[in-house]
Amino acid sequence: MNAHSQNLETERASQRFLPTILRAGLTAFVLLSVVVSSEAETEIQFNRDVRPILSDKCFHCHGPDKSKRKADLRLDHKETALGKSESGKTAIAPGKPEASEVVARITAANEDDLMPPKKSGRTLSPQEIQTLTQWIKQGAKWETHWSFQTPQRPALPKTKDRHWAKNEIDHFILAKLESEKLKPSREASKETLLRRVTLDLNGLPPTTEELDNFLKDKSPNAYEKVVDRLLASPRYGERMVLEWLDAARYADSNGYQGDRVRTMWPWRDWVIDAMNKNMPFDQFTVEQLAGDLLPNPTTAQKIATGFNRNHMLNGEGGRIPEESRVDYVFDRTETTAAVWLGVTLGCARCHDHKYDSFKQKEYFQVSSFFNNVAEVGGVDNGGMANPVLEMPTKKQTEEIAKLKMEIAALEAQGGTNTLQIADKPRAQKKGKKPAKQSGPVKTVDTVLSEPEKLAKKLEKARNALSNIENSVLKTMVMKEQENPRETFILAVGSYDKRLEKVTAGVPASLNSFSKTIPTNRLEFARWIVDPANPLTPRVIVNRYWQQFFGVGIVKTSEDFGVQGEWPIHKELLDWLASEFVRSGWNVKAMHKLIVMSATYRQSSKSTPELNERDPDNRLLARGARFRLPSALLRDQALAFSGLLNEKLGGPPVKPYQPPGLWEDMSLGKLSYKPDKGQDLYRRSLYVFWRRTIGPTMFFDTSARQVCTVRLPRTNTPLHSLLTLNETAYVEAARVLAERIMLEGEPTKPDERIKRAFRLATSRSPGSAELSILKKSFARLTSQFQNNKEAALQLVSIGDKPRDPKLDVVQLAAYTGVANLILNLDEVLNKE
Amino acid sequence: MNPQDQFKLLMTRRQFFGRSVTGIGAAALASILNQDLFGAAGVVRKDSMPLPGLPHFAPKAKRIIYLMQSGAPSHIDLFNYKPGLEKYRGQEIPASVTMGQRLTTMTGKQANKSVLPSITKFAQHGRNGTWISDFLPHTASIVDDICIVKSMFTEAINHAPAVTFFLTGSEMPGRPSMGSWLTYGLGCENENLPAFVVMTSRDKENSCGQIFYDYYWGSGFLPSKYQGVKFRGEGDPVLYLSNPAGMSTSVRRGILDDLAQLNEIKQKEMWDPEIATRISQYEMAYRMQASVPELSDLSTEPESTFEAYGPESRRPGSYARNCILARRLAEKGVRFIHLLHAGWDQHKNLPTQLKIQCTDTDQPSAALIKDLKQRGLLEDTLVVWGGEFGRTPFCQGDPAAKEFGRDHHPRCFSLWMAGAGVKPGISFGETDDYAHNVVKDPVHVHDLQATILGQMGIDHTKLTYKFQGRHFRLTDVHGKAVQEILT
Repeated sequence: MNAHSQNLETERASQRFLPTILRAGLTAFVLLSVVVSSEAETEIQFNRDVRPILSDKCFHCHGPDKSKRKADLRLDHKETALGKSESGKTAIAPGKPEASEVVARITAANEDDLMPPKKSGRTLSPQEIQTLTQWIKQGAKWETHWSFQTPQRPALPKTKDRHWAKNEIDHFILAKLESEKLKPSREASKETLLRRVTLDLNGLPPTTEELDNFLKDKSPNAYEKVVDRLLASPRYGERMVLEWLDAARYADSNGYQGDRVRTMWPWRDWVIDAMNKNMPFDQFTVEQLAGDLLPNPTTAQKIATGFNRNHMLNGEGGRIPEESRVDYVFDRTETTAAVWLGVTLGCARCHDHKYDSFKQKEYFQVSSFFNNVAEVGGVDNGGMANPVLEMPTKKQTEEIAKLKMEIAALEAQGGTNTLQIADKPRAQKKGKKPAKQSGPVKTVDTVLSEPEKLAKKLEKARNALSNIENSVLKTMVMKEQENPRETFILAVGSYDKRLEKVTAGVPASLNSFSKTIPTNRLEFARWIVDPANPLTPRVIVNRYWQQFFGVGIVKTSEDFGVQGEWPIHKELLDWLASEFVRSGWNVKAMHKLIVMSATYRQSSKSTPELNERDPDNRLLARGARFRLPSALLRDQALAFSGLLNEKLGGPPVKPYQPPGLWEDMSLGKLSYKPDKGQDLYRRSLYVFWRRTIGPTMFFDTSARQVCTVRLPRTNTPLHSLLTLNETAYVEAARVLAERIMLEGEPTKPDERIKRAFRLATSRSPGSAELSILKKSFARLTSQFQNNKEAALQLVSIGDKPRDPKLDVVQLAAYTGVANLILNLDEVLNKE
Repeated sequence: MNPQDQFKLLMTRRQFFGRSVTGIGAAALASILNQDLFGAAGVVRKDSMPLPGLPHFAPKAKRIIYLMQSGAPSHIDLFNYKPGLEKYRGQEIPASVTMGQRLTTMTGKQANKSVLPSITKFAQHGRNGTWISDFLPHTASIVDDICIVKSMFTEAINHAPAVTFFLTGSEMPGRPSMGSWLTYGLGCENENLPAFVVMTSRDKENSCGQIFYDYYWGSGFLPSKYQGVKFRGEGDPVLYLSNPAGMSTSVRRGILDDLAQLNEIKQKEMWDPEIATRISQYEMAYRMQASVPELSDLSTEPESTFEAYGPESRRPGSYARNCILARRLAEKGVRFIHLLHAGWDQHKNLPTQLKIQCTDTDQPSAALIKDLKQRGLLEDTLVVWGGEFGRTPFCQGDPAAKEFGRDHHPRCFSLWMAGAGVKPGISFGETDDYAHNVVKDPVHVHDLQATILGQMGIDHTKLTYKFQGRHFRLTDVHGKAVQEILT
């Protein structure tokens, strides 16, 4: 947000590339000569070089959206772009730039003829004009959009270096590096590698014991053993679920005004469990999208369908239920399209897509898969919305059965309603002397007639039943209603503006691989994970890549359409996608493949030369280095100190949070009460997520309001303040200090500091580093010596009482050192 | 120059001269780079720097103070004088006027929708004899400094979508707030304070249910560093600003010095420019620890300030106090100062609550204008005062009862602007006899947004950000700056 802020965040990355310089106002002459010379060497490829320009600069008026099309010219279709127009001109004449109207118009000197028109705000750079012209000159070869075609498994490219590659991934990476005259980096140190892979696969730092064992293990497969151990750990699912929660817009409240609490955590636990069991991704998909439609679905398969019930629910009084219901159908449609297909289908909700070949009609055809849920659009089940799955415990089931029998028996005896008897005490409550209530009620009791007694018993039993039923765990699930709803195209997406009726279907542009069209949600789910579906495997492996390397092979992991990024390693992406399908959608195998690669194992040290050549490390001539997600920062702080509570699953928890935030936001209607004891130290993924005011101890997170598959990674002073001052971090620093004081040699500060440093970084400090830390400790000791009260204050922060055996001044000084260590760049980063 | 800056400069110069010929193949590059974000020639952009090409033209305003009156103040009772309404009192508004207007579910089914003329008295003020309600005596005193737009209209009819529309250009949450767009485009002026600050307040009686969602000042798809930083009325003004109990400033300083040294060692080893950034962000955090409390500490303000802004200005978290803070933030060069005040949603309690709301906000709003003017800040500070829509000319509930009010009315409403190239002392736009519809010079919300950006030197059609394949902007595909109200 302020000066010196992050230079290399993804969003800014493109600044430093070539077109930046084009825009920068250097003389066009110099630029063109650079561009042309390099253009001449390579053949222009339509998908890579041309379509992005046409899409970004021309499709808005000459693309798929019929209603906005100008001059009846369509440049997104080969036939229309290369054919003769009504005026008799040819937009694009292959091999003949001089006969192509497009070239004439983009180079027109006359402002009236110039394309794109000035008022569109779009302009073509000299380089883009050059590319288009060159492409036409080379014959204007047309290609179907790359990601809409089923990937062909590419052959492994040949490399000069025959020794570096450890698996297939490396062949692709190395071939590209060699063509760019770059060399991969050496392997990272064992310490760095262990910390990296443990954080990546389990979301926690390695323990000292794990580190010592790995360093001792000289066997050739020592690393693989670690990887296998991490993949088998239940921590694996807890780490991997994070991105899925963002994608699934998971939260513990409904959002909107009122923001009532919901219980969707059974779904969250289902995901963790599925990931830990290595459920194949196709099954993982089908169960979440349509588990309820499987033959004899299990409870777990029904819970899985909570994926598409995680959307927000609008409980505002003035809402029109049907309007809300339609909103939910939209949300499911768009979320599903984004998560699995990586397309921005939502753009076609109100009009034909402006860039991709999705008609508005096709949007509503897809939406019809989600339009048949037995729901009313209101919040009609105790803060949640039907359909809801009830999961009573055995004891609850028994008690419910018992009470139901009792009620049936009472009813059989002639017990009817309780109105009469209930009215009496209520009437008295309205009286002016409530203190005397016990008297009259007793009187009523004594004069009860038999029917009245029966009614009273019945009322009691019914109350008991409703109490138990209310305490039964419930979660929202998908369930079809019996009479299928009809689906209509809705004008500009407005719930009450029905146009043509549509049947279920998928966009034709995405269905080149199949002759059949899915007709219900289950078939749609299976269509999504059809081995020949061109998008799903690419989109999913790309997000895995993004998770491990910080940026996807396609940077725009949310958009594989024509406006998305051209993959930096298309062959690698296609190979990974085909491998994923070939393996039977084996997720752990894919993750293992990635972390076993030499590419992944490289040191993340850069050099000035590498920073020049590839500042964003897209080519991976070095390992990835980036700041950990904030959820993991908190988890690792808890882990260093030993505070971490490793309990798996269950209801959400409420860690420390400054007072007054919920109250302030909700006009005092909601108040936040932090938990006590062990629940304060659960992993971040279990933190209660209120949609109207999310947890404040995280940053660069999804708002969990709509589906998010790519998060920003920023670097601001507010983050520094959080990791320096937030209670959980300060308490973790103090408990870490206690740990090193109790576990280390009592008389040697050096050893203690080294221990803390090693816990946090997995390595020993260098001599320069150690001397700074020792100096720091000495100064802190004298500072706290002079202010013992301050020392006591600092070490008293947090719910866990300080160890009274430890000297307060020393503990405070070590706490300061630990606070410093927890904020080291190396600790905040995956290195 | 400090070592980090030197390092950065070195990096960027090398990158600049190196890339074009030695980087990834040029054709491949061109296709990778369709994100429409351009830095200056090879120079990594500092946050204090605007995007290249910005401002698009000479700005009139350096900063904005937006006084959002959430809940929707009644234009009929405050700014839009319609003495003729008296003769229609109690009558239905003709269908030729209402033209099938969408109503909320609160009055949609109300049997009688009878005209309720202003419940306040109006008098003329200033050199142009502008009519202002007697509920706003202080606003009346600045009438020569402000421009009242009477012809505002919007699309949304419920609060949250309408506020979201005003601030982000879309009724659905998820797009960047105006302040985020501005700081993204223009950078910040002050390196010790956030560029986009938000402060909220509400009426003491809590009379209306409006809550402030944090997406009102969210950065949407822009990087989160452009989101508004909320200054809180209680506790730390900025979350986690204070050092932990027992950690003095000098202890913290020492820790940060050592941290920087250790990070510099790391930087030399890893050559990751992000480390340099982190070092400076920790420094910035430390500076904020001093600058933010200093800014929120009003003990240095003379007695006359509190007298000018009114008695409420001594109460932390009040609108009046936030107005004083707004002036202090403006003095420090904060780019976008956003106050949100709730309490204007008078469906049932118009006779009692409107007066209270006016009392709480009238004096501080006017004092802010006078204060800015006196300090010479009004000439380059744009102040906007207004709600998310207006209120119905007809009565909600029974006008004979003790409690009645007005419902939401998006078709026409009033707001005012002042400073930074806005014509002072004028009214703009005309409405029909009922103050129901705009009849001349309509100003849509997107027009207002275009005007605000324009005063900051931004062509609203050119400040775009590509997300999910589309070039988004604050004004969507609409909006036209209202030249008539500008000098």
